[in-house]
Amino acid sequence: MDLSYSEEQEMLWKSARDFLANKVPKTMVREMEEDEKGYVPEVWKEMADLGWIGLPFAEKYGGGGFSFLDLVVLLEEMGRACLPGPFLSTVVLGAMPIAEWGTEEQKQSILPKVCKGDAILTLALTEPSARYDAASVQVKATPQGDDYVISGTKLFVHDAHIADYVIVAARTSESANPEDGITLFIVDGKSPGISTVLLRTIAGDKQCEFTLDNVKVPKANILGQPNQAWDMVKKIIEWASMAKAAEMMGGAQQVLEMTIDYAKERVQFDRPIGSFQIIQHYLADMSIDVDSSRVSLHKAAWMLSEGIPCTKEVSVIKGWLNEVYRRATAQSHQIHGAIGFTKDHDLELYFRRAKAAELFYGDADFHREIVAQQLGL
Amino acid sequence: MDFRFTQEEEGFRQEVREFLDKELPSDWPGVDPDMYHEDAFDDIHEVSREMQRKLAAKGWLGLTWPKEYGGQAQPLWKQIILEQEMTYRGAPGLDAYEFIGGMGDLLLQFGTEEQKQRYIPRMVRGEAKGATGMSEPNAGSDLASLQLKAELQGDYFILNGQKTWQSAAHRADFAPVYVRTDPEAYKHRGISILIVEYNTPGITMRRLEMMSGLGAFNEMFFDNVKVPKENLLGEINGGWKITMAALSHERSYGIMLLININRDLDLLVQYCKETHVNGKPLAKNPLIRNRLAEVAIQLEVARNLGYRLNYLALTGGDVVATANHIKVLGGVVTQRVAQLGMQILGLYSQLGPVGGNWRQMDEKKDKWARLGGRMKHLYLSTVCNTIAAGTTEVARNAIAMGLGLPREPKPQPKK
Repeated sequence: MDLSYSEEQEMLWKSARDFLANKVPKTMVREMEEDEKGYVPEVWKEMADLGWIGLPFAEKYGGGGFSFLDLVVLLEEMGRACLPGPFLSTVVLGAMPIAEWGTEEQKQSILPKVCKGDAILTLALTEPSARYDAASVQVKATPQGDDYVISGTKLFVHDAHIADYVIVAARTSESANPEDGITLFIVDGKSPGISTVLLRTIAGDKQCEFTLDNVKVPKANILGQPNQAWDMVKKIIEWASMAKAAEMMGGAQQVLEMTIDYAKERVQFDRPIGSFQIIQHYLADMSIDVDSSRVSLHKAAWMLSEGIPCTKEVSVIKGWLNEVYRRATAQSHQIHGAIGFTKDHDLELYFRRAKAAELFYGDADFHREIVAQQLGL
Repeated sequence: MDFRFTQEEEGFRQEVREFLDKELPSDWPGVDPDMYHEDAFDDIHEVSREMQRKLAAKGWLGLTWPKEYGGQAQPLWKQIILEQEMTYRGAPGLDAYEFIGGMGDLLLQFGTEEQKQRYIPRMVRGEAKGATGMSEPNAGSDLASLQLKAELQGDYFILNGQKTWQSAAHRADFAPVYVRTDPEAYKHRGISILIVEYNTPGITMRRLEMMSGLGAFNEMFFDNVKVPKENLLGEINGGWKITMAALSHERSYGIMLLININRDLDLLVQYCKETHVNGKPLAKNPLIRNRLAEVAIQLEVARNLGYRLNYLALTGGDVVATANHIKVLGGVVTQRVAQLGMQILGLYSQLGPVGGNWRQMDEKKDKWARLGGRMKHLYLSTVCNTIAAGTTEVARNAIAMGLGLPREPKPQPKK
C-alpha cells in the first residue's frame, strides 16, 4: 500500500496553491458572485495555458493525459481557494463524458477547444423535480428527419448561460423501466430555441433555468447509444460527486487552518481562546473530520482512476464530506464569533459554498441510499 | 398545577390577535425578533415605526411601566402574552429584548427620577428607538475588557474609543453605552453605563453587512463625544453590578427565538403537506416525517421550558439558570430548524432574495425560490443565534457555575 503523492502530484498541488493564492484573491471571488459570467477570462486562459483545463484528456486532443486522481489533487486546491468559474462544469460534467463515450468526430470537434480554454461545457440533467433519478428525466426529444427536437425545462444547470455546448439528458422513448429510453445529446449552446435565466443562489455560483423550445439537434450529436444513456449518467454523477468532494476537501482544510490560527490569536479573558478546553475539543473534532476525509477521498479517486468499480466509495466520501464541510464551517463560525458573521470576513464564503456543495450531485440522503443499496439492503 | 391560561389571559391574547389581524397586512411573512430586518430595510423599518406608534396608541408600549411615566402599570403576564403573540406573527415594533428590557426596564430599575422622566414617556409614546452599546473589537465574550474611555471633565463625560457589532445603532435615538471610567481599576470594576443620545457630535458609524446580506449592524467611533454627567446610569464604576442585575431579569431573548422559529416549523409542515415530488407528498416521506418530528419534539420541550421561565419571572423566582438554559436551547433549536428546512427544500433551498420572503423578489433571479427564500435566509441568519447576546459557551459556563461546579483554575502568569 502506498498512500503518498507522486512527484507530479506534489508539484501539481504546490504550483496550483501558489497560482491560486496570487491570481484568485478573495476580492475576486466576491466580485464573481455578483458578475454575470462568473469567471475572469484572463485567469481562465492562464489555467488553460497551465494545462489545467485539459488535464485529464488525451494528449492527442491537446490534453495532459493525467489521471482522475491528479484532477482531484488539483480540484482540492481550487476548493481551498474558492475558485469561481466553469472549471468543474466544463471538465467533469461536459468534456469527460465526451472523452469517455464520444465518437472520434465528436472528440476531435470539441476536446481540443476545451483544452485550449476556448470552449465552456456543462450538463443539463436535473429538472424542476430537483432529483437525480431516472424517472425525473421528463424533457422529451422527438425524432424529426436527421434531427431530434427537444422541448422542456431543465433547472439548476451550472454555467448554462455561458456554455458553448450543453449535454442534455432527454427522454427519447417511453418504457416501463424509467432508466430505459434516456438519451444524451450534445447541444450547441447557441441553438435557436434555447433560453437561460440565471438564478440567485446561496453561494453566488451560476446556476440556471435552461429552457429548450423546439431545439433541433442533429442525430450525429447523440452521445453514446440512444435510449441507453442512464448508465452513462450514473457514471457522470459519480465523477461530479467526486470532483465536488475534492473541492469540499480543500475548502474544509482551509477552514480548519483558518480557525486554528484564529483560536491562537484571539485573546479574551486574558488568554488566547484556543487555550480553553472546549475550543480545543471543537478543533480536535474538526481535525478528525477533515483529516479522515482525505484518505477516503483519495481512495475513491484512485479507484476511479484505476477503473475499479467504486460506487460505494464515491457515495461514502460525498456523503461524509456533505456532513463534514457543513459541520466544519458551522463550528468555525461558532469559534470566530461575531467577526466571522460579517461579509468582510472570508469564512462566510466557505459556509455558503459548503451548503451549495452539499447539494451538488447528491445530498447526504441521496448518497446514503446508494450506500444502502451497496450494502445489499 | 394548572397549565391552562385564565379566561382573562386568553381574553387579552384574543385582543392582541385581533389587533395584529387588523394592523398587519394579511400576507405578512414575519420579521425576526432580532430586529435585523427592521434595521436593514428602510421599508420594513417604516412598518416597524408605524406599528410602534399603533402599539403606543393602545398603551401597549411599556405595558408594565408605572403610570407616572406614561405606562399602564399592567401585570407582567400581559407583557408576556403580548410578546408571545407578536413574536409568533413576526410583527415588528415592540423590540421586547432591547427596547423594553435592555433600555426601559433598566432605566426604571436603576435610573434617577429625572432620567426616568426624560426617557420613559418618550419611549411609551413610540417616539424613540433604542440600541445597546456593549461590544468592542476586543470585548466580545470578555465584555469586561471594554476600553471605550469616558473621562469626567466638569459637567460632561468625554468619550473616546470604538464599539462594534452595534445592531440598530443607525436607527437608534439613544442607548445605554458601556464605558470605562476608571482605567486603573481591574476590568469590570471600572465600568459605567451612560445614556448616550446617538445624534451627539463626534459619533460616527460604519454599517457592516452580515453574512445574511443584511446591513443591520455597525462599527461606532466616538471622538471626544460629550455626554452630560446627568446621563450616568447608577453609580460611577458601578456598571457591572447593573449588568448582573439586568441579566438576572433576562427573560426574553431565548424564548423569542423559540416562538419565532415555531412559525418557520409550521411553514415547513405546511410546505411538506402541499409539495409533491414525483407524485408523492413530502409529508409521507418517512425520512422527512422522522426529522420533522424530531425537531418538533425539541422545540416543544424548549417552549415548555419557556413557560417555566415566565412562571418564575411572574412569581419572583430565580430565573438565572432557566434563562441560561433557554438561551442555549433557543440558539441550538433555531439552527436545527434552519438546517432541516434546507434539507427538506433540497436544491431549491439555495434560491431566494436577500432577507428571504419579502417584497424584494426578483421575477427572474428568484422565480424558482420556494417559501420566498425564507429557509436560505434562516440558514444564514441563525448562525449568530449561538453567538449574539452571549455565546452558548459563556452560557454553559454560567450554567456550570450555577450547578456548583468548581471554577477552572486560571493559568498561572509566566514569571
